[in-house]
Amino acid sequence: MPPWGRIAERGSIWGIRFTSACYRVLGRRATLPLVYAVVTYFFLTDASGRRASLAYLRRVHATAEGRLAIPRPPGLRESYRHYRTFALAIVDRLAIWFGRSDQFEFESHGLDYVDGLAEQGRGALLLGAHLGSFDALRLLARRAGRAVNVLMFTANAEHINRVLREFAPEIEERMISVDPSSVQSVFTIRERLRRGEHVAILADRIEIGDRNRGLRVPFLGGRVELPQAPILLAGLLGCPLVSIFALREGPGRYRVHLDLLAERVQLPRADRTAAVAELLTSYARRLEHHCLASPYQWFNFFDYWGDAEPSAGEV
Amino acid sequence: MTSRDQIFQVLTDVLQKEFGFEPDSFRLETHLVDDLDLDSIDAIDLAVRLEERTGVSFRDEELKAIRTLGDVVDLIDGRG
Repeated sequence: MPPWGRIAERGSIWGIRFTSACYRVLGRRATLPLVYAVVTYFFLTDASGRRASLAYLRRVHATAEGRLAIPRPPGLRESYRHYRTFALAIVDRLAIWFGRSDQFEFESHGLDYVDGLAEQGRGALLLGAHLGSFDALRLLARRAGRAVNVLMFTANAEHINRVLREFAPEIEERMISVDPSSVQSVFTIRERLRRGEHVAILADRIEIGDRNRGLRVPFLGGRVELPQAPILLAGLLGCPLVSIFALREGPGRYRVHLDLLAERVQLPRADRTAAVAELLTSYARRLEHHCLASPYQWFNFFDYWGDAEPSAGEV
Repeated sequence: MTSRDQIFQVLTDVLQKEFGFEPDSFRLETHLVDDLDLDSIDAIDLAVRLEERTGVSFRDEELKAIRTLGDVVDLIDGRG
């Protein structure tokens, strides 16, 4: 991942400090051109990020559904649009964290059902991605009066909590650092689910610090490695598994898509890996569907398929 | 949960019903990894299910120290 991709990304304390200071001092109107300038600088100087963006856009364009959103073969113009869309997402994130979060409007599909489960003490494990805005989901949950617990397989969680408290003490959300090989982590999460809270995790990357292996599943004409850990956790918890993506539809407008992947995750001992692969495949299928519908909102600017030179058959 | 026999009963019941082992495969010295082939995810699964039945929740370091079914019984007996 190129350094610029970590700007305002969770974990990058400097990025959060710098951009939030800009946002609070200069406001949205002045911050947006600034973030555009930063993104443009990296677009011009970071060849590997640009290549990754193009490789992804080409995969989208290679499908009939993707060509509705990207009609002509992607080139630098499309790639630059991809970068600029990332800038918009960063500024929205700042607005959600530090600014006028009441200016956001949401439409949601499937949220009532998931909230109904929570009311019966069956909080769900929500699988998000670096697609659209994960922060919009937090905002939505906050409005609904629900706590969102964001899981991370790193020791960074407490660090990020501290920065959030420093800059936005009103944010109630909690980051939980989990170790899937820890029974205490499982008990902690189970407590929250039973209280009717949801637990969310980004499942499109294998985090540094996640000691479980990934599994390769089909995604946009190739195969990508996705983390097993979230599915293993859901199996241990026997909880509902839901994919969740919030996509930007216009200024201040997001649409949240929730899809039930499993009402209760059960992983048979004998075929555990096959069962995990099946659920990861369903998740990847949902992710692909939303990538094709909103291709520019995909924010993984690195060689996602692990094949910087994709074979002719795949592109 | 009072007696060690009852604890052993609950443990073997879980292993049969939830893990699919044959009823005659358990003794106190049965080894979780060598004899039953449980991995780390199974161990957590077992701990979660035992907690639901007995109310005793294991700590990670306790779980890691467990080798045999007898160790599990000792742990629950000591905490219960």
